Formats: sequence, C-alpha cells, structure tokens
Amino acid sequence: MKVFLKIALVLAVMLSFTHVVAAETLHGAGATFPYPVYSAWAFDYSKVSGMQLNYQSIGSGGGVRQITERTVDFGASDDPMKPDQLQKDKLLQFPAVIGGVVPVGNLEGITPGQLKLDSGTLCKIFLGEIKTWNDDSIKKMNPGFKLPQGEITVVYRSDGSGTTAIFTHYLSEVCPEWKDKVGAGKAVKFPVGIGGKGNEGVANYVKRTPNAIGYVEFAYAKQNKLDYIQLKNKAGSFVEPGFESFEDAAETGEFDAKKDFFLWLTNAPGKNSWPIAGATFILLAKEKTVSNKNVVKFFDWAFKNGDNKAKELIYVPLPKSLKEKVRGYWKTNGLQ
Amino acid sequence: MAETSKKNPMDMVFASVTGIASFTVILFIIGILYVLIAESSLAIRQFGVIKFLTSTDWNPVKESFGALTNIYGTIVTTLLSMVFAIPVAIGIAIFVTEISPNILKGPIGIAIELLAAIPSIIYGMWGLFTLSPIMSNYIEPFLKKITSGLPFVSMLFEGTPMGIDILTASVILSIMIIPFTASIARDSFNLTPSVVKESAYAIGATKWEVVKNVVVPYSKLGVFGGIVLSLGRALGETMAVAFVLGNNHRITTSLLDAAATITVTLANEFAEADTDLYLSSLFYLALVLFVMSFITLAIAKFFLLRAERKYAR
Amino acid sequence: MMTHERKRKIEGIIALTFSTLAAFLGLFWLVFILGDVLVHGVKALNLSLFINDPAPAGVDGGGLRNAFIGQLMITICATLIGVPVGVLGGTFLAEYARGRTVARLISILADIMVSVPSIVIGTFIYAILVRPIGHFNGWAGAVALSIIMIPVVLRTTEDMLSLVPWTLREAAFALGAPYYKVITQVVYRGAATGILTGILLSIARVAGETAPLLFTSFNNSFYSLNMSQPISSLTVTIFQYAMGPYDSWHSQAWAAAFVITIFILLLTITGRLIIKWRYK
Repeated sequence: MKVFLKIALVLAVMLSFTHVVAAETLHGAGATFPYPVYSAWAFDYSKVSGMQLNYQSIGSGGGVRQITERTVDFGASDDPMKPDQLQKDKLLQFPAVIGGVVPVGNLEGITPGQLKLDSGTLCKIFLGEIKTWNDDSIKKMNPGFKLPQGEITVVYRSDGSGTTAIFTHYLSEVCPEWKDKVGAGKAVKFPVGIGGKGNEGVANYVKRTPNAIGYVEFAYAKQNKLDYIQLKNKAGSFVEPGFESFEDAAETGEFDAKKDFFLWLTNAPGKNSWPIAGATFILLAKEKTVSNKNVVKFFDWAFKNGDNKAKELIYVPLPKSLKEKVRGYWKTNGLQ
Repeated sequence: MAETSKKNPMDMVFASVTGIASFTVILFIIGILYVLIAESSLAIRQFGVIKFLTSTDWNPVKESFGALTNIYGTIVTTLLSMVFAIPVAIGIAIFVTEISPNILKGPIGIAIELLAAIPSIIYGMWGLFTLSPIMSNYIEPFLKKITSGLPFVSMLFEGTPMGIDILTASVILSIMIIPFTASIARDSFNLTPSVVKESAYAIGATKWEVVKNVVVPYSKLGVFGGIVLSLGRALGETMAVAFVLGNNHRITTSLLDAAATITVTLANEFAEADTDLYLSSLFYLALVLFVMSFITLAIAKFFLLRAERKYAR
Repeated sequence: MMTHERKRKIEGIIALTFSTLAAFLGLFWLVFILGDVLVHGVKALNLSLFINDPAPAGVDGGGLRNAFIGQLMITICATLIGVPVGVLGGTFLAEYARGRTVARLISILADIMVSVPSIVIGTFIYAILVRPIGHFNGWAGAVALSIIMIPVVLRTTEDMLSLVPWTLREAAFALGAPYYKVITQVVYRGAATGILTGILLSIARVAGETAPLLFTSFNNSFYSLNMSQPISSLTVTIFQYAMGPYDSWHSQAWAAAFVITIFILLLTITGRLIIKWRYK
C-alpha cells in the first residue's frame, strides 16, 4: 500500500511540473470540411502565441448546435446561415477559407482525375437510378476506360454536415428530380447507400469499399489518395478539382458583409470553375466578448500567415478584398 | 437485526451516510427517467406516442422524426446476435461443466472472462478493420451464392456485400454476448446437485442424456435469466456496432443492408442535432431505449431470482 | 442395424462434439481478436506515442500523450466518486438494512443499473452537467462513468460483506463495540480482498467505456489537466481515429487499443486471481 502511495505521489508531482506552462485554450467545434487546415493552423499558432485552439470536427450541424447553446467558444459550418436566423440566435458569421466538395470513387484501374461525370449522371447515381459503373451514360463520357460491372455503393454523411449542404445544394440547383425527391440541407434522407461519420468517415468507407462513390472535401481526397472525379461545369467544360478551379469559382462570389457573408458558390459560372465549391464559415456568440476577441486574433493571424499552409492542403485562401471585408465586419461588431 | 443497546450518535451518522449512498441507485433511475421525459417532452407533444413509435420517417431537414427504423435495427441486430450466440454459449457451458478435464476448466474459464472484459470499442475497431473485409470478400458473397435460388431466404441476402451491414454488426454483437451468456449458463449448470446427476448415471444414462434431461431442465430458470440478461446488454451496445452498421435509417429485409439502431443513432447524431425538435427526438429515442432495456433487465432479474430461490431450498 | 442404444450413443457424441467445437470457437474468437490487437498494436507502439501530443490531421508523427493522461484523470476521478459511494451503499444493504424490503429493492435495482445502456447515461449527464454549465467538461465524463461504477461496486460489496459470518460481528458486539466500529474495524477487514476485487473489476469495466464520454468530456486535441473543460480520452480518440481515413490515425488507434486492452485484462486477471487465492 505504501509503495503504491509513493508512486502516486511521484506521478502527481511529475504531472504538476509539466503543467507549469499553463496554456490558454479556445474550444471550437463544427465542420469536418476545414478540419485539416484548421488543425494545421492551430498547431502552428500554438507555437507562436501559446494559445491552443482545440477544434473538434463533429460536422457543421454540431458546430451550429454547440455555438447556439454556447457550449463552445466558436462554431464552424459550411452551411451558411441567413441574417435573420443569425439575429434570432444572436450569432455572428464570417468566412474563413474556401474549398471544394469533390465526388470520389473507388474504381480499380482508374487513377485520380481520370473519370468524368456530368451533373445528370452524378444525380442519377446518388438517386440510385444508375446502379453500375458500366452504365451506358457513364460509358459515353468515358470512352476507352474499362468500367467495372459491380454495383455502385453510395457513401454519404450520416451526421449533420455542411459538406452535405453544399453538395445537395448543387444537386438541387442542377437536377430538378433531386430537388423534388430529396432536397438540400445538412442532413437529408439519401435514397441509397451507407452513412459515414464526418468527411473522415466517408473517406474511410470509400477507401475500403470497391465500386463505392462518395463526396468529400478535396483535402480529404488528396490526403487519402482517393480517385477524384472530373465534373462538367455550368459553362460546359469538364474541370478537374484543384486550386485553379476552386479559385475560379471563388472569384465569382460576391460576399456581402451586411448580409453576414451569406453566399453559395455552387454551380459557379466561370469557364474553369469547379461546380461544387463553397466557403466555410465561423460562427461566434455575440455576448462572448472575451473569447471572441481571441478567436478573431487567431483568424487574423491565419489570414496573414496561413495562406501557404491552406494552399498546400488545396484550400483557397480568401481573396484579399474579402479578407478586408471580413476585417471590416470584425471592427463593426467590436471584435477587433 | 443489529441493534446496540445505546443509540450511539456516530452509528446514526454512519447509518445515514451509508443509507444515502445506497439511495443513489434509486435516485439515478428516477433521475434518468425524469430528465429523459422532460427533454423529450417537446417531441412527445409534437409526435405523440403511437405515431413516433410507428413512423419510419427520420428527416432532420423536414423535422419529421419517427423511431421505427431505429427500433427495427435495434431489435433485428439484437435478435440475430442472440441466434448466433446462444447455441455457442450453451455449448461452451456444457463443455466447461461436463466434458472438459478438470485441468482445462480453469484456463477456459479465464478465457471466457477475458473475452467478456474486452471493451466494446475494441470489438468495434476489430470488426471494422478485420472482420468487415472478411465478411465482404468471402462470407457474404458465399452466402449470397448458396441462397440465390431459394425463394424466401434469398431476400435475406440481397444487395452488394459491403461488409458494413446488419449481418456483420450482428456477428460482432454475438461474439460480445457469448462470454456473458456462457458464464451465467455455466454457473447455473454447476448448481445442479451431483446427487441428481449421479442417480441418472446410475440408471445408465449417457453423458449427453444427463445434460439434456437433468442438468438443463434443472437450471432452466437460471439459463433463461442469463439469456434475457444478455439480450438486455445487447440492446444497449453502442460502440461494437457503430463502426460496422452503416447508419442508414430504413427498414430492410436484407441482412446485407446498412441500418440504424437507437444506440448508434444517438452516438452519431446527438452532438450535432441542430434544432430543438431534433435534439428532443433523440432524447425521446433514448427514453424508448431506457424503457426497453429496463423492462428486459427486470424480466431477466425476475427469472434469476426465481432460480436462486429454487436452489436455496 | 441401428439399435436404440447405438442411437443414443451417436446422439450423445454429436451433441458433445458440438459443445466442444463451441468451446473452441469461443477460444478461437479470443485468440483471433487479442492476437489482432497484439500484432497491430505492437507494430505501432513507440515512445513518441506516449510523449507527444497529436499532430495536425493527416500529418505523420505525433502521439497520444493527452489521451493517455486524460483517460487516467477521468478514470481516477470516476473511481474517487464511485468507489466510496458504492462501498458505503453496499454496507448499508448488507448491514443496517439487512433483510429489509428496501434493501432487496435497491439490490435488484442496482443489478438492473449494471446493464443499463451506457449511452443513455451519457445523454442524461449531458442534460444535467453539460448544458447547465455551458460547456463540455471532464467532470461530466467522470460522473457518467461513476454512475456505471456505483451499482457494480455496491453489489459486490454487499455480497462480500454478507459472506462474513455473523458470529464475527457478535464477538465484536460482545466486547461492547458500536455497530459502526464493528463494520469498519472487523467486517471490512474480513471482506477486504473481496471488496478490492469488486473495485478492480469495476475500474476495468469503466476504463474501456466510450459512449458515456462522447458528449460529456467530449475531446481535446491538446494536452490538458483541466477537468472543467473538454478533455481527451483514449477511448473517444480510438473512435475518432479508427473511423477516420488516415493510416497514421489507424496505427495510433491500434496502439491505443492495445494499451487499453492490456490494462483492462491485467486488472481483470488480478481481480480474479485475488479471489481465487483468498477464497480457496
């Protein structure tokens, strides 16, 4: 017994010493879409400022819920909220970074970026109307590729997801049948498939299930070497997801600080625009003035220093003009 | 009854302290019921009782929620896991009590305890990384092939074998349940007085006949209680199933389809429900599960108590 | 010619063979699962796992120091809450209230509570200890675990105390000791190893729980000793990493699974051995 107590005492002293440099922590939760870039930024930021940003990627739905209930310091969501909704819950909203939602597949013998789909076929696959990869409509767009016979397994998000919101918003825009039958939102009733938790879960399932198709934020497709798929955009050209096509879509966006930056970037009209781009937003509770200032400090630092890291992970940093608009929004709302 | 002649004040203090400690059990049960009902009141007012329990809707966008898909998934995975687990567990119990040489009884007993002690998240992880590929590459296609002609049974194996479905989840759940049922069955079997067994042997019964006609009937109540107890445990299992069930809210006849159980829905959606009605409906689901498992466990306890009483004669 | 006797014999052989196969099937699962955890876990074990905190998503390196410490803290706090309440409660049932209906009622309810779905307990604690406070916190996780522990400890304490012969108490009474002294100085000593085993087994039970922590102590990608804020735990981290797509996450999850499994198995084996050795 005595030996045990001695060991416990030593352990306690050890732990207390490591805690001497107590770091301040900010807690945030929400979208899995920007998780790779937020966690990279937070890692670098903690080294220069001593402030730890604990971001838990639980999905945009969770981000909205947690900030509405004030159980976190900031929420993150790719599903932008309208000004009247923000007023009701006393929240502030601003964009942090722009990325793209990308359909990914698991097809043997096909390398990333080889397969082409258009909005019609994409829609029908997710509706369950096209059941196999070697369907005629897909074969027509992809001559020369040997497409597998097997049944397609659709993978979607089982949690409340801004990525789903962006994806279904796009499908509802280009596909009246989808708009009718399923609609758009963070958690819709997908007609077929299996649900994965977070962008991470979808990527995981697609990776381990042959003939699967899913939709993820591009960083997840790149980091996990998934087969991303080319899409036909509004201007009629097939584009590959990547920095150029995301940036093209971002440039068409007219963000308005007076509308709390509410904007969808889907189905962008540019010649080389990626059709499923989106901004991801930070939500703050109006009355948490102290923590808000710290959150804003972090994002200000990220705007100044985080561009390269973001580009490395294939996110599009906000264009300079938008960053200025956001800083203006911060000043008007007493956050800076 | 223990009563000292003088009423020692410290005794009253100690008695009250320990009494309060024991009352926390009652407090928890009442507290959980109260909180769950209070939190689900919004959903109860919105959907009522019958409508919620029988609706297959689970639509967060349209804010329409019904428990049936989750209840269906819970019941199917639980029952299927029992079908897989009970024969094996009884077999293990028979082996340990009647067949195995004495030296083996200890180690096998420990092996069963170890299997029971493994945390459910380990089962879940192992299920996702090891069992699921085996299911989708070998076992499920095989099952699909041999049932493809048969009229009724082929419905059970429709769809693509992904390994992330009701069947895999039930297999993992059954592996978790086996040690639990086996140890209760073993304890019940061991309570059969050897006198009765020996008399059966004396009139020429084979070992199997002793088991079938003496031991099993004698320990019926205990074994049955153990089975119902395992059922109660399986109902509430979350992590073992969360990895491999696939989270699809629907009612399906195929075991190769993904589904949803109350526990997995709670684990996936609770921290993220963004509207009050959504959260309240999740609490409503938790309430349904709490009531279901409470009743099941109470039934189990009833049988186990009767078994105890019988043996204490 | 199939005589009745031979039929009985064959039936017996088939049935008993099936039993034996069942037993080996059980052993097979155990070896398979533990073996898998061992093989994958040991491969991923390295010092960095224990010393470093997590790296950003998708980046290699990094460790799980915060999760190990967090898990330890939550488990220790849960034990500090759950064990005293459980032991004292079991004492009440076995001593002051022995034989009374209220004791039987609480005993039965405790048995039921042992198997109540742990995720329901998580939702309960969220409503009373997370929402009102305003944020996730480690204490909520510890309390959730202690609610699982208390019935287990209570029942084993009650059983172990009941095993102590009444004559022992009578001897102490005969010397003029008040009841509480009889309990603390005589009965507890007699049942000590049994109670200790119950405690060890209850710790083994909650150390592996994930569901009650999902929305109480939540998670934290940084090292923290602050129980009044979200704190990371090994089990929730395993859930997060195993469900994620990164290979580095997967191997860390296996390593963490290995450590937790070894810890729990050691506790369980120790508990059982103590009982065997003491009550031979």
